[in-house]
Amino acid sequence: MEERERKSLNPDNKDTTAAGCSSAPSVPEREPEARSKTGVVDADKTDVCSDNFDPLLALYSPAVTLPFPNVKCFNNVSAYESFLKGGRGRAKPENVEKKRLKAMKGVADPERIERLKKLMVNNPVSGTEEGESSGTPQRRERGRHKPQKNVLTRMPLCKGSPLGELYRCVEERIRVKVHIRTFKGLRGVCTGFVVAFDKFWNMAMVDVDETYREPLLGEAFYHEKALTISRLFEKLNLQESSEGDEPPKKHEAQETASKHQAAHCTGKGGHSRTESKLSDTVRPKQDKHKVSLKAQGPEVCQKKDSQMYGKVHTRHINQLFIRGENVILVNPQPL
Amino acid sequence: MSRTIAENSMVVLLQGLQGQVTTVDLKNESTARGRVVNVDAFMNIRLDNVLYRDRRGQLTQLQDLFITGRNVRYVHIPDNVDIMKTIQSQLARIHRVRNFASHGGGRKEFATKTK
Repeated sequence: MEERERKSLNPDNKDTTAAGCSSAPSVPEREPEARSKTGVVDADKTDVCSDNFDPLLALYSPAVTLPFPNVKCFNNVSAYESFLKGGRGRAKPENVEKKRLKAMKGVADPERIERLKKLMVNNPVSGTEEGESSGTPQRRERGRHKPQKNVLTRMPLCKGSPLGELYRCVEERIRVKVHIRTFKGLRGVCTGFVVAFDKFWNMAMVDVDETYREPLLGEAFYHEKALTISRLFEKLNLQESSEGDEPPKKHEAQETASKHQAAHCTGKGGHSRTESKLSDTVRPKQDKHKVSLKAQGPEVCQKKDSQMYGKVHTRHINQLFIRGENVILVNPQPL
Repeated sequence: MSRTIAENSMVVLLQGLQGQVTTVDLKNESTARGRVVNVDAFMNIRLDNVLYRDRRGQLTQLQDLFITGRNVRYVHIPDNVDIMKTIQSQLARIHRVRNFASHGGGRKEFATKTK
């Protein structure tokens, strides 16, 4: 590398050549030869490699013989300077290293492979390394590709994360409640068994019971309170309890349920009280719930007015795929 | 690429539903019932012979319906479909296609097996 660099001295640029000369005052056999041959001072002065080289004279002299005819030409001094400092094309030590690595790329380095093999957690090779090294590349290839990853193999791999808990529910067949969102707030709850899932929380569930609030339309949408779990199930219980009073068919029951609610609503002063009493019969709870029910009172009224919007429905679906985007939370049910 | 996405997510299950008649519940509370023509890796679903029910309950018969993946809320899976078996057969199919590629059909630089 050094030699090529020296060769690339610029013949036309006097400074460059001078610099090159001073940096490498070499080619000793050339010097005496030049002197002995001509004996003339001029020739000595135009000889690039001589000690008394006169750049100005060399520039103006018609014939200057160069020690190395095919050298690299630089446009100016600074180009040469940056070259010397290790610019483009220069053989810096790190460049050399890079080049070597580039050349090595793609070529299997048995030593490195061995090193990597030793780092593997469950090391297949421990003792007989020499015997292995012959068949190493193929084995390694196979080893990398053998455990084909897919949805099913990925499911158990999320131990220690929330998805790992979900996998536990899959394995132990724990019934889960999956809360589903609408574009604004809660929509409903799906209760069922998860069969498969992925990292997006897409889920395949079986034996699903979905409880959801009917979508709100028009004005009701703006006035209805945000749905919460307790509200959802209180509503459901309300409907069911009034359903329990008169046990006709389901649709009719719901119809009557809403009528029932409407009846509550008509008693202006006492409706909240009657409703809270009703909820007490359903499940006796703290005052907090009564309060929330009271808050619900006017809603119910309004619901009736606008064709029972926001009614809670239940349906059963044998097998259901849920897109993960809609999942708010998953709640395992220890049953 | 899309094969990889499909392989690593539950989209394979939906792809396995091709040809079945299912109901897809959309985010905007409407539902579409029809025969699945195609499901891509982004869960975009193409349905055929669709009975579309919008949020107000109005029914519309549609020849063809394309559902963007993001609009999907639920996909009802027919009772005669075994979820696990469908996923597995679908994965096997992807695997077959890939193997074919590495055996000579595909580009050499992506060949995975040296066999």
